[in-house]
Amino acid sequence: MEPLHLGVLLAGAWAILTLVFLHLNAKAYGKRTLYSKPAGDSVQGVVYAFTKGMAPWAKESVRMNLPSYAAGMVFHAGVFTAFGLLFAAIFGLELPPSLVFLARILTVGGVLGGFSLFGKRIFKPQLRGLSCPDDFVANLLSSLFVLLALTWTFSPALAGVWMSEAILLLVYAPLGKIRHCFFFFTTRYHLGAFFGRRGTFPPRA
Amino acid sequence: MPELDELESRLDALTEADFQQGLEVFRGKLKKAEASYLNSCVHCGLCASSCHYHRMDSTLENIPAHKLELISSVFKRNFTTMGRIAPGLVGAKPFDREMAKAWIDAVFGRCSLCGRCSINCTIGIALPKIFRAARAALGAMGLVPPDLQATVDNSLLHGNNMAVTKQDWVETVQWIEEELQLETGDPGAKLPLDKQGAKFLFTVNPREPKFFPLSLQASAKVFWAAKEDWTLASDGGWDLTNYGLFNCNDEQAGTITKHLVDAMARLGCKTLVIGECGHGYGAARWEGPEWLRKSYPFEVKSILELMDEYVRDGRIQLDPSKNTAPVTLHDPCNLVRHGGICEAQRRVLRKATTNFTEMTPNRVENFCCGGGGGQLAMARYKQRRIQSGGMKAEQIKASGAKVVVAPCHNCIDQLMELNKEYQLNVQIKTVAEMVAEALIPNP
Amino acid sequence: MSPVVCNGQSVELSEEGFLVDPSLWNEELAVLLAKAEEGLDQLTDDHWSVIRFIRGHFVANNNAPMVRSICKTTGVPLKRIYELFPSGPAKGACKLAGLPKPDGCV
Ligand code: SF4
Ligand code: SF4
Repeated sequence: MEPLHLGVLLAGAWAILTLVFLHLNAKAYGKRTLYSKPAGDSVQGVVYAFTKGMAPWAKESVRMNLPSYAAGMVFHAGVFTAFGLLFAAIFGLELPPSLVFLARILTVGGVLGGFSLFGKRIFKPQLRGLSCPDDFVANLLSSLFVLLALTWTFSPALAGVWMSEAILLLVYAPLGKIRHCFFFFTTRYHLGAFFGRRGTFPPRA
Repeated sequence: MPELDELESRLDALTEADFQQGLEVFRGKLKKAEASYLNSCVHCGLCASSCHYHRMDSTLENIPAHKLELISSVFKRNFTTMGRIAPGLVGAKPFDREMAKAWIDAVFGRCSLCGRCSINCTIGIALPKIFRAARAALGAMGLVPPDLQATVDNSLLHGNNMAVTKQDWVETVQWIEEELQLETGDPGAKLPLDKQGAKFLFTVNPREPKFFPLSLQASAKVFWAAKEDWTLASDGGWDLTNYGLFNCNDEQAGTITKHLVDAMARLGCKTLVIGECGHGYGAARWEGPEWLRKSYPFEVKSILELMDEYVRDGRIQLDPSKNTAPVTLHDPCNLVRHGGICEAQRRVLRKATTNFTEMTPNRVENFCCGGGGGQLAMARYKQRRIQSGGMKAEQIKASGAKVVVAPCHNCIDQLMELNKEYQLNVQIKTVAEMVAEALIPNP
Repeated sequence: MSPVVCNGQSVELSEEGFLVDPSLWNEELAVLLAKAEEGLDQLTDDHWSVIRFIRGHFVANNNAPMVRSICKTTGVPLKRIYELFPSGPAKGACKLAGLPKPDGCV
């Protein structure tokens, strides 16, 4: 196996193991025993939180911020696509041209989304005020990763640069905010369970 | 302001041990859900506009995520590896005097714990859970705004939050009974006190006997019409409020809850009925058992649910033409978003009025009136309370309503002030008052 | 809150518009507060009997009276109290009588 490929896999393993460690750490805080009688079903609440509760029209924060929401969506789609490409590159999978075409579109979107959010973070004073260095580092590493994935689809010679950057990204991921790639799920789960139990989720109108 | 000085001098007197104590209490409030929340914020800022404080005054300090960040920065510094080795990178900060001051300003001064940010957060962080942990920590350091603490102390000392004496309470109940008999023309109309084994123990907000007894009379009239088997407690256990929900001292909150639990045992009632009060419902129904670490041996219901049942089962008959003015409904955060009581009051109002319009947004997406979270008790933040209430004032104006129904005495007081400040020219009523107005006397 | 000036003396008000020092109260001050806080240009006899009763009760007991005693003693019917003082007995009448803000949901 090529050293860089191995490096990516090791970095990936580090990311996953560190996230597992963080998860166990959070879990060690313990579960809250609840004594009040439930009014609704926490399972239904969780299901709602991960389905309809995530629909753009379900949240005013999205309805009022559609451009940012769209940028975030294409950014994330770009990142996932880039990871798909990375997987293909490491394991030498041949991608049909249609898939490559699709990947290019998605990564272009990801690059635009990522850098526009970076710009927003710099130029909008309140968002800048809300940010710490980690926010910029995380965005840059991810956006660059998507950009390099895109260039790689045109010129495989860039694989080295791309993979080195991927190693940086994977090593950094669990250390800063990118850990939300995991904690998003636990947090949404807890939110859904809380509001589900109280009979608020799913909303009945 | 003397009170401000009181907090300031307390801040000046803080010792290292106080900070440690605060951190310990804070840590003790965190379970895995909160640990997850504290690892999740991506600083996207989309929660900003969900908060009525930020809507009315768009400063950085009013963004929910900024309030959260003040707390998570301390969490990172004290309880995470990255926060210890690279504090600058991940925004970890020490818990010192300035930070404690910023916490006070954020969690007491700029938050009504309404939870509107929770449902709007990109990730799904239930932010008030963290704000509550911070309030508890500040409490352990003696940093609860004194007037909020005084309201809790009243309950602990006098069994109700306005220090109403037993004699005053009982005399008021008897007076309202006379008034009810005059109103209904039925000498049998009663406000039963200490009726052993009654089905329902009804509880009220001390504000009713003290200053606004018409809502108590209205609730009693509804029970009278439904021929309900109910009672009030003459001593400890008639007050439904619990400001322990706001100073976040679980021990004190539990002691106050105990007043209700003891009254239920003393009188042998089956169901504890909470009058129209958001935080009172949240405290008694949801938090009480958690504070006491024990399930109740009885049911807890809101009077809204009872009225809904009365209408549904035909136990009371309503003539909606008694209430023809345009009516809208306010959704108290602790009753609706955090309490799960959403449709009962709507069904009742539709039967009791002819011209009911919803505010936009409503139900789980409702805006706080600005008076929640103990804001009404903290004089120092009055300006912000009135300003942030501007969101509700706008909603009321847009609804075109002449009557605003609010099933919460805390909200009612805030709405009365908004009415004055924003010249809304509306009447503010409880659901029971609307129902009492529309009651068709039983044949 | 900005202080009110009464007889050339400036009297401090709390954030909520209550007297910071309740002992400074006098009837001229009640008139000024009525105008500034309640938008009342004129205080009628009914207003005065309520205000004076609340004040007397406060001086004797150091708290606000129950609305029941206000009605029973002054003979002003309950519904009339809310008309007389649009902000209600607490933030209206008690304020004009120079009491501190009561604790609780008011
Ligand atoms: S809980 Fe309500 S008041 Fe507090 S930050 Fe969230 S939206 Fe704002
Ligand atoms: S919406 Fe949620 S994740 Fe985004 S900044 Fe606000 S609290 Fe953080």
